[in-house]
Amino acid sequence: MPGDDGTPHWRGTLLHIHVAQAASYEMEPLDEATLIAGRGIEGDRYCLGTGTYSKLPAVRDVTLIEIEVLEALARNDPPLQDAPLLIDPGQHRRNLTVRGVPLAHLVGVRFRIGEAVLRGARLSFPCRYLEQLLGRPVYQPLYNRSGINCAIEQGGRIRVGDRIEPL
Amino acid sequence: MTPRLIMKLEVSAVADAAPGVRVLTFRHRLRPTLPKPEPGAHVDLHLPDGRVRQYSLCGDPADATRYTIAVKLEPEGRGGSRWVHQQLQPGAVVPVSAPRNNFRLAEGARQHVLVAGGIGITPIAAMARHLARCGEAFELHYCVRDEASAPLLPELRAACGTRLHLWRSGGDVPSRFDPHRLSPLPQPGTHLYCCGPHRLVDAVLAASAGWPAGSVHVEHFAPLYDAGFVPEAFQLGIASTGATLEVPAGRSALDVLREHGFMHPSSCGIGVCGACECGYRVADGSTVIHRDVAIDDTARVHRMTPCVSRARGRVLLDL
Ligand code: FES
Repeated sequence: MPGDDGTPHWRGTLLHIHVAQAASYEMEPLDEATLIAGRGIEGDRYCLGTGTYSKLPAVRDVTLIEIEVLEALARNDPPLQDAPLLIDPGQHRRNLTVRGVPLAHLVGVRFRIGEAVLRGARLSFPCRYLEQLLGRPVYQPLYNRSGINCAIEQGGRIRVGDRIEPL
Repeated sequence: MTPRLIMKLEVSAVADAAPGVRVLTFRHRLRPTLPKPEPGAHVDLHLPDGRVRQYSLCGDPADATRYTIAVKLEPEGRGGSRWVHQQLQPGAVVPVSAPRNNFRLAEGARQHVLVAGGIGITPIAAMARHLARCGEAFELHYCVRDEASAPLLPELRAACGTRLHLWRSGGDVPSRFDPHRLSPLPQPGTHLYCCGPHRLVDAVLAASAGWPAGSVHVEHFAPLYDAGFVPEAFQLGIASTGATLEVPAGRSALDVLREHGFMHPSSCGIGVCGACECGYRVADGSTVIHRDVAIDDTARVHRMTPCVSRARGRVLLDL
């Protein structure tokens, strides 16, 4: 979505913040949180090194997913399963649920949330682990739209309702 | 082992149900309901030192607003019950897993015979409440020392009425449960469930040795974490070529496949994503040791994850 001068212009909103203290722990909602550069969200498993994937080299300081995807699943769009799939924002195990942010375009892109600056690292891949934790078939419905892993370039406070903008 | 969600639940009530037996009720701090438990299911309690203890849910399985467990203090035990008795007061917050059920009521059974000894009543109590509510045919044999030491007895009397048979080993007139009163050849569709001390379980198993396969159920807890797992070398057969590869103790099957030029898909490398999942067969005497959390128990019969799972003997991969 480039503007006339070629710079991308979009503006999104941070809807939910969730953290979990360790692998398999239920995600807990926060109104605000502190992002620590190069590490993660204070209190989250990937900041603490207790996540399912903590020992793997890939960057996953913080993970994002679009509310638009969850809304599409709730409409069963595309019709991949028998019925609409209701996943609420605490269940998908991504940290930040956002609206109006084109996540698939953000690999390698820097953007701002609240006081922090993130850089898109790689698109997330759905996993069977999530499917088993939820006890519902979410693997295929989330294929190619399960969000993005980001690096935290500049730490700072973030709050639900914060604006998200490209840099 | 499949992963289960761990929730931080709050202890909402604590009560003594019998000498040395404490009943604890848990609720979610943010949500009105919890994952619905099946009758016979258990949860894991995660202790602060990292140990995990499994307790059967003994409340009404139709009530998803709370989980109830009954914990007997085992002064000589490994410390889980001591921690529960000493530390868990109303308001305490404990990591508790979503329920898992290894002790299911048989579907389509015509008659259920439940046998419980002492604290073994916990999963059986949930089953009895469920059967009573659904109007199913059942009888419950509850073996205790005396009435005063029988946890959950008032609730069970209310739920089961005359279907509850109380057997006492102590007191002035003992009335012990005799497993041989179980019919050696039951009516078709009868299922037997037993939970309690080893002696009782063994006696019930012996007395029901002639029952049809699959009609006798005993509760057993599978070990959850295998920190002491020692990998051993094994052989990997390749179905398409007939080749046999040696997997040394210190390497994964996936590694060995790679080294031999197999471009097998993989992602996490730690048994959680399912990307490396593959069909297999084993010869008699060999077994696969599943160490992932990606494949469920039904699929494990013919699918494995070479990134973490291993074998004893020889396994033939469908590659
Ligand atoms: S590579 Fe993920 S389960 Fe094997």
